[in-house]
Amino acid sequence: MIPCTDFIPAYSELFKFIEDRGGRKAVVEFWEYLSDNFLHNLRSLVEEHGIRGCWLYWSHTLNEEAADFTLELDEEQGEFRIIMHNCPSKGMLMGCDHIEPYHDYCGHCDVLYRRVLRPLGFECTCDMSECDRARCEFLVKDIRKSAPGEKR
Amino acid sequence: MAREVMRRRHSENAYLHRDFHGALSVGIDYLDQRFGPEAVRDYLRQFTNAYYAPLKRELLARGLVALKEHFESIYRREGSEVEARLNGDELVLEVKVCPAVRHMREHGYPVTGLFMETTRTVNEALCEGTPYQAELVEYEGESGRSVTRFSRRQP
Repeated sequence: MIPCTDFIPAYSELFKFIEDRGGRKAVVEFWEYLSDNFLHNLRSLVEEHGIRGCWLYWSHTLNEEAADFTLELDEEQGEFRIIMHNCPSKGMLMGCDHIEPYHDYCGHCDVLYRRVLRPLGFECTCDMSECDRARCEFLVKDIRKSAPGEKR
Repeated sequence: MAREVMRRRHSENAYLHRDFHGALSVGIDYLDQRFGPEAVRDYLRQFTNAYYAPLKRELLARGLVALKEHFESIYRREGSEVEARLNGDELVLEVKVCPAVRHMREHGYPVTGLFMETTRTVNEALCEGTPYQAELVEYEGESGRSVTRFSRRQP
């Protein structure tokens, strides 16, 4: 058994293996497959609770992942934000000196979650500019609550 | 309409996200469908040889007691019962219920048909390049119950 605490390096090595076999296209195809076949929990929570479903989903997963984060939910504005001060996954990979992380490890988050949330009426914005320091921001916005004229 | 904020630091929680088992199962399923079952085994060998390289060095240096300690640690952390009997150059590892399979069954994640390879291939790969070998003696897919025998290779 690969323990769940060793999943992140297994995941990163999986991206590398898939890219070696099928190129970058196959890696993105895998992320889409994972989104479709694994994130049922996020999908059903957002279908049932709207933007609060994001809060319910990530307040569970990020605590189990022992992340260093801030979550913000504003139901009136239809906004949910994750401020990742120190991503446990990227941090683990950066701290592991005997394996090299997949070169676009952080890219999976944007693909996986956008693919679930966009069809449900939520726009996602992902700021990865500091992901080499295990930091990022992820904003989910309810398109129906966007201000008139605001870019959608 | 509520406004809520949650701030958490790493030290406030224990790192144990069992849903990752479900993601690994989907990953194996993807590899199997896209590249075939041998690719699943190739990937698991590659991962094991890379990530568990320090454990393999321990196996070379200290013998099977290094594997015994490793398995007792990982199964204990996931709250599952394991019996690891070390007798000279033989280690028999008996997993009553695989915590990964149990979690996936309990939470409705599909358990891919090749999930067994995360036990068989990983254990075999742990022994590659060492004087030892691993043999999956028993495996039961519904619960992931397994018996693996590690022993010294015959010359």
